[in-house]
Amino acid sequence: MVTPEEIVGEEWAAWYRLSPQERWRESEKLWQAYFYLGGSLDTQPDTQSPFFDPATSSAGAAHGRPSLRILRRSRV
Amino acid sequence: MGGQACVFYGAAEFSRDTDLAILASSENLARLRKSLKELKAEVIAVPPFEARYLRKGHAIHFRCNHAEALGMRVDVMTKMRGVGSFPSLWTRRTTIEVDNSTIDLMGLPDLVQAKKTQRDKDWPMIRRLVEVNYFANRAIATKEQIRFWFLELRTPELLIELAGQNRISAPLLRQRPLLKALHIKDETLLAKFLTEEEENQRQADRLYWMPLKKELETLRHARTSSTKP
Repeated sequence: MVTPEEIVGEEWAAWYRLSPQERWRESEKLWQAYFYLGGSLDTQPDTQSPFFDPATSSAGAAHGRPSLRILRRSRV
Repeated sequence: MGGQACVFYGAAEFSRDTDLAILASSENLARLRKSLKELKAEVIAVPPFEARYLRKGHAIHFRCNHAEALGMRVDVMTKMRGVGSFPSLWTRRTTIEVDNSTIDLMGLPDLVQAKKTQRDKDWPMIRRLVEVNYFANRAIATKEQIRFWFLELRTPELLIELAGQNRISAPLLRQRPLLKALHIKDETLLAKFLTEEEENQRQADRLYWMPLKKELETLRHARTSSTKP
């Protein structure tokens, strides 16, 4: 029998093996980390969506809240 | 250098909007208006929040201004390409309980249909949705699940495995022609057929959206004209 590891690798296989409830809980932890890092609820523009309207895209930074400051960044 | 960095640079995103599929009855719309008011949600794009646009297949887009949901997007729709009517979706829904509240999620087969869009990001999602379901249930599968996997699996290795253990009926072969190639057990060939199948669906989605996009453009133009001094 084909194993999940053969198809998607170990990390995804571990995710697959969780129960739906466990995945939900893990996702909640991810949300907490996301908010802690300054993530915003506003979505990023989805240019492939038929609904895409540049006029309504968020003006906010992708990295979220004002309290997240960039101290150093690459030249690119 | 992982997922969080990709989120930071804007390439990776986990879903932050809430998509609501609703029955566009006047009672429901009144209840929805009340809930959206509590969230201080405003319509952020065209079309306006009117039942006639929902019934045509448009989605209505809101952004919430309530402090506890600031910036959260809510998209409301009643009709999706290739997906059954609302009553059938409701019959097949999955209900979960979170913090003493119940949430009704679209059933997996319906979600898979809804994801067959023109967007790149939906296709790996479909593959994973069906893979997870296959791995979790293949040991004791029902006839309905086997049928679902034959119609929706997008992983050549798993399709070959499935065909090695189950007979493919004539109606299934008619519904999904690439199943005819399973007996060759050639993963590369199957991958090619899966790509073609995906491209056909993406093209069908583009065609489906063509008149709706045209209508959206007209509405956007009208909106722009009306806001000009």
